[in-house]
Amino acid sequence: MEVILTGRKLSKSYQLGEVRVQALRDVDIQIYQGELVVVLGPSGSGKSTLLNMLGGMDKVSSGELFYRQQPLHAMDEKGLTRYRREAVGFIFQFYNLMPNLTAWENVHLATEIAAKPLSAKDVLIDVGLGERLEHFPAQLSGGEQQRVAVARAVAKNPEFLLCDEPTGALDFETGIQVLKLLRKFSREQKRTVVLITHNAGIAEMADRVLYMRDGRLDRIRSNENPLAPEEVSW
Amino acid sequence: MLWRKMVRDVLESKAAYLACLVVISIGLMVYTSLNLTADNLWQAKENFYREYGFPDGFATVKGIPDAEIRRLAALPGIDQLEGRIVQDVRVVFPGREESAFLRLVTVGTGQEKTMSKVKLLAGLPLDPHQPGIWVDPQFLAANELKIGEEIPVIIGGRKVFLEIRGQAQSPEFVYPMRNAQDLFPDPRSFGIAYLPLPVMRSLAGEGAQINQLIFQLKPGFSYQDVESWLEPRLERFGLLALYPAKDQVSNFILNQELSSTEATANTMPLLFLAVGAVILYILLKRIIEQQRGQIGTLRSFGYSSREIQAHYLSYPLIIGLAGGLLGSLSGLWLSFPMTAMYQAFFHLPGLQGNFSLDYVLLALLLSVGFALLAGYFGSRQAMLLSPAEAMRPPAPPSGRHISLERWHWFWQSLTVQGKMATRNLFRHRQRSFFTFVGITFCFSMIAVTGYFNNIISVMIFDQMTKVQTHDIKITFAAPLSATGTRRELLKLPGIKRVETLLEAPATLKHGWQERETVIIGLGRDAELFNLLGEDGRRVLLPERGLILSSQLAEALGAKEGTIITLESALLRGDSISLPVYTIIPQYMGINAYMDKEALSRVLGQGELATSALLVAEEKALPLITEKYREASQVATMENRSQLLENFNEMMATYGFTIWILAVFAFITGFAVIYSFSIVALAERKRELASLRVLGMTPGEVLQILTFEQWLLALAAMLAGIPLTLQLISLMAQAMGSDLFTLPLIFEPNSFVIAAVGTACFILLAQWTLLRQIRRFSLVEALKERD
Repeated sequence: MEVILTGRKLSKSYQLGEVRVQALRDVDIQIYQGELVVVLGPSGSGKSTLLNMLGGMDKVSSGELFYRQQPLHAMDEKGLTRYRREAVGFIFQFYNLMPNLTAWENVHLATEIAAKPLSAKDVLIDVGLGERLEHFPAQLSGGEQQRVAVARAVAKNPEFLLCDEPTGALDFETGIQVLKLLRKFSREQKRTVVLITHNAGIAEMADRVLYMRDGRLDRIRSNENPLAPEEVSW
Repeated sequence: MLWRKMVRDVLESKAAYLACLVVISIGLMVYTSLNLTADNLWQAKENFYREYGFPDGFATVKGIPDAEIRRLAALPGIDQLEGRIVQDVRVVFPGREESAFLRLVTVGTGQEKTMSKVKLLAGLPLDPHQPGIWVDPQFLAANELKIGEEIPVIIGGRKVFLEIRGQAQSPEFVYPMRNAQDLFPDPRSFGIAYLPLPVMRSLAGEGAQINQLIFQLKPGFSYQDVESWLEPRLERFGLLALYPAKDQVSNFILNQELSSTEATANTMPLLFLAVGAVILYILLKRIIEQQRGQIGTLRSFGYSSREIQAHYLSYPLIIGLAGGLLGSLSGLWLSFPMTAMYQAFFHLPGLQGNFSLDYVLLALLLSVGFALLAGYFGSRQAMLLSPAEAMRPPAPPSGRHISLERWHWFWQSLTVQGKMATRNLFRHRQRSFFTFVGITFCFSMIAVTGYFNNIISVMIFDQMTKVQTHDIKITFAAPLSATGTRRELLKLPGIKRVETLLEAPATLKHGWQERETVIIGLGRDAELFNLLGEDGRRVLLPERGLILSSQLAEALGAKEGTIITLESALLRGDSISLPVYTIIPQYMGINAYMDKEALSRVLGQGELATSALLVAEEKALPLITEKYREASQVATMENRSQLLENFNEMMATYGFTIWILAVFAFITGFAVIYSFSIVALAERKRELASLRVLGMTPGEVLQILTFEQWLLALAAMLAGIPLTLQLISLMAQAMGSDLFTLPLIFEPNSFVIAAVGTACFILLAQWTLLRQIRRFSLVEALKERD
């Protein structure tokens, strides 16, 4: 399988007040084309930091990180912006929708800056929001908002999705719906999805699970028979 | 402890608070410095007038015998009446081309009691038996003359050398202008000289008669009473002008300057303070929204809502105090150079800067008052929150469709960023409104200053290139025969054109309204003095009837066709009546115009000329000046290029003050946009960071904020145009006078300047924003909960 992201000895430390925090220590990682990866760990284990590095939101303190052949660790802000624009689709725990744009406009906003976007309307119909195109975030439920966020990420037609606790703010039922969408994207489009969570139940639907602890990659488990989203529980 | 929290909060958004501080400081600096300067000016004027006296009324006649003066002094209502000779004489500086004039004014030599004394600043007393004079210090300085030197002048066609015995200043000539048509004094070409009456008579001939009366009123009598008694008695002595102290040129201009300075000092600062207060209000509202949780926590500790409001009032209090101190102290400091600047315009001996804390205290009170008012309204919400409510996050901002979306063609043409921005405008109505008002205000300020700068040039340029197109104007000492003079002048080498004028001082009356003016008689084929109508086209002189300047028409309440009564010392009979043919706009001076021949007929004294306008080849000009400068028939000679040069010098000084205002407006505009943008940025950090994560560049993210601002700016600038015109018309009414009118014309240049200035301060504010967006830590911004 083709490797899309390669990290060697990734470390990240930052100054928090007067303490220096080592958030990531010598992590070696490879992410493959088309797989659904879950990064699992308790809070403070470094999983969000890892996601930030992979998504080009922050730079590593040391180590090397490549997106295909491109060195992300050596890119300037301009290069990282282009990377986020073309390769990555982000999904956040708290949706981060623009409150004064409608569902369709929120998605359209992302497609405007993408190189080969999908139709905003089609994607929204795909996530089951065909009837709510003209609604503002405040008029949508949490699950619906997260589905808009998924649509926004997917519509950019990115190489892979990075999801930061996408079900963290949702109840079980709506959480499952969102996971179904992510899995559908992974299977049907043959695209990579990286999902970070502290929820061990979700890990059961992953092709591979990366366990993080104390800033290190503790172990990796391959899942021969991943469960369907509707089968997982927590 | 809460004080410390406040100080840290303020420091955290120091740039926004600093912007607000600067605006408040500017307002109070203007307030303190202008008020102090006006006070200094007023004090110096009062002292000088009181100590040296200022007559209540003035009368100019052709000549009146001494015996008659004693009789007039006995009139009821007159406390004191004196006669003097006032005569302008030409100074012939060796080797100098431009003409210069001295106004000789006879004065007592110190023994007699007089109502208009002259302050001797340096030198010796006057001697009634020696041809010595006192001269005003500015004329001496401008012409590099010293006490003891002699000035060659032409009196009655003779060249006489007058010894400078001292330098002196009279309250009547604090702002010495040769005539009301001049815009400003020029000490190099015009000065005042004082000399004893016997000396004057020995120079001008023993027959020289008193030609000016000054008088003081008895308590309980008004000027109007005395005027009505004096006027008929003076008529047979060739009454040329009779006016009260308030119309005396120097006094008039001094008072006008005083009242306009005071008006500016008390209105302008309020505008700046209001802008500062609005910024504070917005900043405070924002910080309270942001600190909801903290307020809840404090309330749950047991802080009362009153204590919390007091805490939030400490923010504006500290800004108000700091701004007040900074502004008023810098204003105090600035009042010294400003007073010094006035010394150059108004020659008041006691004029100097004074150290006074009165205005500093008032300024502090003002700024603290404004700041607390803003603070009270900004922090009211904090009082109303219950602790539990405060702990909960605020309801998410709701997105809503706005009515603008119904205009499909418009809405569809917007990018998604544009839609976001437009909806935002309506979401934060209050802030949008204040931004709109702020930009409108700054735009108009810049436009008004630009207008004044341009318009003065327009006035002068029009006057010099369209109205009066001659090279030299020669005014005769006494009326001459028009045809003879013209023939004589045409013989001069290099002369291209000669036109003669007949100028007659007269009183025009319409009902109870009346005005002293000069009727200018022009040839019907005149090309060197053009009367231009509203549309800029030449107005042809009627065979009979008057053309009035709009200013004069307004003063008389006259319209086209109104019958005007004309009285003049030059008239054979009592008075005659003439219809108004038309009214023309005129920026400088108030005059009436007539066909020269018609005027001659009315006066019944044959075909006369009082002055001549010449156009000549450039190289011939010095020759002409040389030939006539000492001729006895020539009273004055004016050179156009000399006038223009003086004007440009003057503009350099005025221009500077005008542009300072524009700079203030610029800073204020920047402060408004900048502080509001910072608030918007803080509020929407997460939203904007999400966009960055989506892959937008800092520039694209900035567009969302800037689109909003440009949309508002466009609307504000459009609204600023009528506001500017309104301001200009108000200022024109306040500043316009008999001396000049400010034309109310649409002057596109100043709006272009204002638009460019506005765009500049907006761009500058946006550039600082862009830097902030670049520095955004995406990780941090996304971690923060709303």
